Amino acid sequence: MSEAAAPRAPFVVTPGPHLRTAESTRAIMWWVNAALLPTMAWGLWVFGPPALEVIVGAVAGAVGAEALANRMMRQRLTVKDGSAVCTGLLLALTLPPLVPWWAALIGGAFAILLGKMIFGGLGYNLFNPAMIGRAFMMASFPVAMTTGWSIPRAWYSRLEAITTATPLGVMREHDLQAALHLIGGPGGWFRLLIGMRPGSIGEVSVVLIVAGALVLLARRVITLYAPAGVFVGLAVMTSFSGAAWLHLLSGGVWLAALFMATDYVTSPATRPGQFAFGVLIGLLTGLIRLWGGYPEGICFAILIANAMVPALDMWFRPRRVPATGAPS
Amino acid sequence: MPLLELRALGRGTIHPDPRKEATAGRPIEDLPLPAEVLLPLIQHLGDPAVPAVKKGDTVQRGQRIADAAGNGVPLHATIGGRVRAIEKSAHPTLVQSPAIVLTGDAAVPPLEFPEDPHWRALDREEMLARIREAGIVGLGGAAFPTFRKLRLPPGVTVDTLVVNGAECEPYLTSDYRLMLAEPRAIVEGARLLARIVGVPRILFGIESDKRDAAAALEAAVRETAADGLELEVRVVPARYPQGAEKQLVAALTGRVIPPRALPYAVHVVVQNVATAAAVRDAVRFRRPLLDRVVTVTGPGVVEPRNLRAPIGTLLSDLVRFCGGLTDTATRVVSGGPMMGRALPRLDVPLVKGMNGLVLLTGRGPFEEGYGPCIQCGRCLDACPLGLEPNQVSIRVEAGRATESAPFGAAECYECGACAYVCPSQRPLVQFLQVAKSALRKQRENLAAVAG
Repeated sequence: MSEAAAPRAPFVVTPGPHLRTAESTRAIMWWVNAALLPTMAWGLWVFGPPALEVIVGAVAGAVGAEALANRMMRQRLTVKDGSAVCTGLLLALTLPPLVPWWAALIGGAFAILLGKMIFGGLGYNLFNPAMIGRAFMMASFPVAMTTGWSIPRAWYSRLEAITTATPLGVMREHDLQAALHLIGGPGGWFRLLIGMRPGSIGEVSVVLIVAGALVLLARRVITLYAPAGVFVGLAVMTSFSGAAWLHLLSGGVWLAALFMATDYVTSPATRPGQFAFGVLIGLLTGLIRLWGGYPEGICFAILIANAMVPALDMWFRPRRVPATGAPS
Repeated sequence: MPLLELRALGRGTIHPDPRKEATAGRPIEDLPLPAEVLLPLIQHLGDPAVPAVKKGDTVQRGQRIADAAGNGVPLHATIGGRVRAIEKSAHPTLVQSPAIVLTGDAAVPPLEFPEDPHWRALDREEMLARIREAGIVGLGGAAFPTFRKLRLPPGVTVDTLVVNGAECEPYLTSDYRLMLAEPRAIVEGARLLARIVGVPRILFGIESDKRDAAAALEAAVRETAADGLELEVRVVPARYPQGAEKQLVAALTGRVIPPRALPYAVHVVVQNVATAAAVRDAVRFRRPLLDRVVTVTGPGVVEPRNLRAPIGTLLSDLVRFCGGLTDTATRVVSGGPMMGRALPRLDVPLVKGMNGLVLLTGRGPFEEGYGPCIQCGRCLDACPLGLEPNQVSIRVEAGRATESAPFGAAECYECGACAYVCPSQRPLVQFLQVAKSALRKQRENLAAVAG
């Protein structure tokens, strides 16, 4: 028939739509990793080489386990999608800086294998893999996980005894005054905010955690529905404890609210669902901190709330066009 | 209802890059009559037309060459010349269909279509007959015979005609240029349509990125004869899929068309602007639908243009008139890039419902496979109906398509907004199609058992 048609045919035929957004899952995951860099860098500066060992251990454990699982399950390699790195990094940032590197490695591997791959890999896991890893380490290495805290910048001063306690731990054992004394009395709030205090590697600097989250907000990777819920829930639960401000500014609450409660896979898909999920995390965190067995409760709070996600997804649905009164 | 206002204002929609700049500034150009046209007997939803000519016959442009059968419409010669063959030929959407192939002959004069002096005073049945005789179908893409849409089913009452000028597909500018070029024809056609269905009110819906088109229609509304009808041109937000009937009717009237129902359900009839102009020609001049405006565009064509081309023109002739393909062209889409379909070849004819021909470059969206659903919720924000493509897709993947009913699979009209935003590149429209057909089959089985 026509000459013009002949040379190029057949053209590629794919189903529609034939245009799509440039956004990809891989890009999203690597942006999350990038957004964690400021608080990670701060952790390295404050806690020194031991923190680096923990981070490398956890990330290597997570990535190695995913590659191994891909191999065993005869899948294509998925480590490049950035989600294993993300799990390892998030786990490391919630660990005490003086935890042995090999414990972090085992934790990272466990997080991926039993937190993610066993469910079918990315997208299918019910629980936040990093928090599965942390819970596993709490059970397996209880001493390291509860005493591995370091005095800020102590490694650089070559202090003999650099271990200490966290503000929440001190408050639990003693009282608010002792906790405030630990973070330096007057001016302590400021040190709490910028992160010059004992704590997990990536949890100490509220300012830098927020800075990273702002990048994700600007790129519309995350929204504030779940994080807002976390703070509301925690504020409500701790409001009468007399130390609500300490609760809201310490512990991993900022890291957890902005980077874990916002994990797509393990949080509800609708905005009202995400807010409810956040509130649940906040309430449970307060409950565990005030009356539970641990000074910090957000890890278990997230895991329990994760279990509620399928239900939350059923309860909080998008609004549909009403089907009533259709003469059709 | 505030929820609808929100939807009309952009909730549950997406805003893809419109990419209309290549052709938005180009007036409609007439394609010179091609040397050959291929006229499929099925270019509409309904029974195929029956050939009224035989091989070797001489036909004039405008002459009826196939008669309407059943609920279908007739077909007309779009160039003068001879019937070369009546045979199975390539069809853009049906792959193959019987068609009448005409070879052009410039010596055969076209039929003339003088104005009927009594065109303003015709009764409803006469107007409907002329619309059918002209072979008019919905030119916005659906290709449903217009006379059938205008014959209201028993028990249906309507009070508003919506004229759809919300050309929301990226790249396409054929309706936009038509509104600028022939606003009077559109308005006159709309007035006739309103009289046929017996409504006192006409609402024109134009997107906010086409305000000059809205102004042109407004001027035409003022110029055309006052006939007691209430006409209003309204600007609606430029979002995708604003031109979908459900979205446009909600934006213009605040009325929600229930799931799986037609606009009749809320007393509205919707017609595309190009259809309105064709109706004017059919009623005023008894002129059949011979040409249509089509946007030939995309990075795969050298010189994107808006063309008025005879129905049946080979797509390769359209592309050649636009300077040919670029070296990087890899994909051909009939219609818009969101809801159109990819074609493997260009030696197929322009059919009545084809409003665009988009030539794309690069790999297709799903050529590189797709990832798992990560429950990011972007599709929930994108869906104009509030459906849950994420939930449907994971159930279809698990082989449990019939369990996707609670997530609205059956209501989907396949606008593709969900797949557009999915970061895992999942073919959500196709998952929804699988779910829809599984649910339909389930309903039929249940009905069979019950019956």
